[in-house]
Amino acid sequence: MKKFMRTTSVILTVVMLAMLVAACAPAADSGDTTPGNGAAAPEQTPPPETVAPPEELGDIDLAVVDPYLTATVTLGNWPPDTAPRAELALFEAYRDIMAAQFPNVTLVPNFFSYTLGTYVPMALGGTAPNLFQPHFTDPQLLISQNLVADVTSAIEEFGLMEMFMPAYVELFGDGQGRLYGLPRDGYVLGLHINIDLFEQAGLIDSDGLPMFPRTLQELAEKGQIIRETTGTAGLVFPASSTFGGWLFTNIAWNFGATGQHAITRQDADGRWYVDFTSPPMVEAMEFMRALRWEYDILHVDATTTDWARTHSILGTGEAAMNFAANDAVDNPTAVSGLAVDRFALVPFPAGPGGAYALNGGTGFMFSPDTTHDQALAILHFLRIAGFLPFITDDIIASMRAGAVALAERGAPVLPPIPAWDNQEFIATQRQVVEEFSNVDMRLFNDFFDSLTDGRVMLRAEEPMHTQRLYRELTNAIQRILTREDADVLETLESAQAEFQAFLDEEVNR
Amino acid sequence: MEKIHLKIDKIKYQGVSWLIMLPGIVLFSFFVWWPLLQSVRMSLYRTVNIQLVEFIWFDNYLTIFRRTEFIQALFNTLSYTMWSILIGFLIPIFLALIIGETVKARGLVRTAAYVPNILPGLAAIILWTAVFSAGETGVLNILLSHLGFDRQSYLTEEHLVIPLIVSVATWRGAGATALIYMAGLAGINPQLYEAATIDGAGIWKRLRYVTIPGIFNLGSTLLILQIIAIFQIMFEPMLLTAGGPNNASMSLMLLMWQYAFGGGTMEFGRASAVAVIIALILLVFTALYSIVNKRKVDWE
Repeated sequence: MKKFMRTTSVILTVVMLAMLVAACAPAADSGDTTPGNGAAAPEQTPPPETVAPPEELGDIDLAVVDPYLTATVTLGNWPPDTAPRAELALFEAYRDIMAAQFPNVTLVPNFFSYTLGTYVPMALGGTAPNLFQPHFTDPQLLISQNLVADVTSAIEEFGLMEMFMPAYVELFGDGQGRLYGLPRDGYVLGLHINIDLFEQAGLIDSDGLPMFPRTLQELAEKGQIIRETTGTAGLVFPASSTFGGWLFTNIAWNFGATGQHAITRQDADGRWYVDFTSPPMVEAMEFMRALRWEYDILHVDATTTDWARTHSILGTGEAAMNFAANDAVDNPTAVSGLAVDRFALVPFPAGPGGAYALNGGTGFMFSPDTTHDQALAILHFLRIAGFLPFITDDIIASMRAGAVALAERGAPVLPPIPAWDNQEFIATQRQVVEEFSNVDMRLFNDFFDSLTDGRVMLRAEEPMHTQRLYRELTNAIQRILTREDADVLETLESAQAEFQAFLDEEVNR
Repeated sequence: MEKIHLKIDKIKYQGVSWLIMLPGIVLFSFFVWWPLLQSVRMSLYRTVNIQLVEFIWFDNYLTIFRRTEFIQALFNTLSYTMWSILIGFLIPIFLALIIGETVKARGLVRTAAYVPNILPGLAAIILWTAVFSAGETGVLNILLSHLGFDRQSYLTEEHLVIPLIVSVATWRGAGATALIYMAGLAGINPQLYEAATIDGAGIWKRLRYVTIPGIFNLGSTLLILQIIAIFQIMFEPMLLTAGGPNNASMSLMLLMWQYAFGGGTMEFGRASAVAVIIALILLVFTALYSIVNKRKVDWE
């Protein structure tokens, strides 16, 4: 009996471990299922081991461009083995082209995806990849802390200086003519929509398009209709870490927290001040309180939901709306399974104080130990992959291949927000997008048109210690969302005192 | 002459001892003591990333003591400790007693108790995130709805968040601790139980007069070690709540990480100051542990 029990224990342990390993293993092809719609998973067939590179890359000239450039570079954000096969094949093709054109350059794929918290120790320990992609909130901090390489000479040699937008020279420079990075693409905050839930709530117009909210008041009301009719959250709001503060600043701008009521300002004496208690800020925070305690439209896990989770909540139909930008459209769709024709991107709702939308973006920066030749090799790679504003037949082929890969993995193929001052490049990007478009552009036109017709004013992030500011605001939002009796003004006063003290210690000394 | 020989022998003996210890001392110096001293040094400087820019005496300490988030993190950490003693100290003892008393399938129960310990930490936290989700897909809420109760919020409640995080930590670690207690229980002389039974002692009296005194010293040691471990709690609150809501689950270690890496401010000097304060508090606990341990050795 004892022996039997012992054997049973061993077998059960092995089975549990096997189940654990199986549960942690990646799905064979996550793009084939649509969990949000509750559809049955199609019968799984073993995927082919490899996939051919996009045929659009077939015409690229593989003659040697520079036999003397010698460097080994590690490239962050390389798609991992679990990425969609089309994306992997695309990057492998880029690597083959690099190998042919620059035989003495070795590309080392690195799966590092930037966050400040992980980059800093890697940079200090000398293990950061040569190329990484930070958000626009961080370049100035990284430059001031000597955690990135000066690549001015490589950028000049590449002829990119004249195509830099002035705002980006400021963002990626040290104010003394030195550059430490370059823009990848911009984003503008808007509202992601799950059309299925709008449909279930009867919020569809005669053309079959979702009746999306155009103002913050409408957002609350329509969210409430969705909540009451479908039982699902109207809005997912990530009030954890720094995400809540990040999105809240945009809401506050639309309540009028700009100009004389700006959230942060520098006075004539050069000192920085923060104003969390202005009437627009208080109104904006009251609005957050109302979303939770009056309209009750927020997803219940707000204070533990991070940015990645918001997209899966929207994509899997747990919430109908999410404040997010054009650069994140592949998350609810390709990553979380929402079909591209059930997804819409619309402008950030206006408020009583205006219609602003946060204009941020992602850049390319270089680890502090990157040499001039390594920077040059990386710029050649970025040119091949279509990230730099040059137009040749090869680059157009790369852009087309990129659009094909995007469509194959189930992400919407949409026009990018221009990051370079080169009209020919922008026009070519749009032409390629139109050619491979896989969406009904009526679901996106309002968003893109609002950026150019003046309906929405673009605004950069708050300038001083932005992440810290977001953290203080997120704490305040958490208090408002978790305590019905929390005093809004008192909460904002407390957050203001903390952040002003920080500014006084760090900046106003 | 004999004295000289004795002295040479002593030097030889001590020399060999030092030689044996040398690799350990070198490794300890390099990996433990040197970083420790550097951390203390860094806490006295203004920093630009990890470079020391200006000696500012105790400014970093004064600054963090002025911040409400530090005071809150300090109290939270004490709260973690208190909850850990309430929840995490007794459960492994009960578990050990239950496993010890189990007649059938003891190996299976023992294995089941230990399995959470071999789960990767991240996987365990993801699992518990799903359990504690306040939505209708939260595992705990599904169970409650089957029992006819309303949906509840868990990690979004300020007063619940620390006990819940401690429960998760206990779930992970209790099995391993229970095994240590089981070893302790196995060391109790069975004749003591026999004698107690002959004297008419029931199960509670046997527990009170034989079992508890038998594992008392082990229990005090493990209690101190548990306090030291829970004082350094970081990744559970980091992954479950990111320190929220409203800093209600922010621990000192998590705050230290935020100052250095996660908060977007790279305050390495202040992070070091927090580290030194944690070390000083733990030093007190460690001294306590040494006293308890010495008493145990003397007793044995």
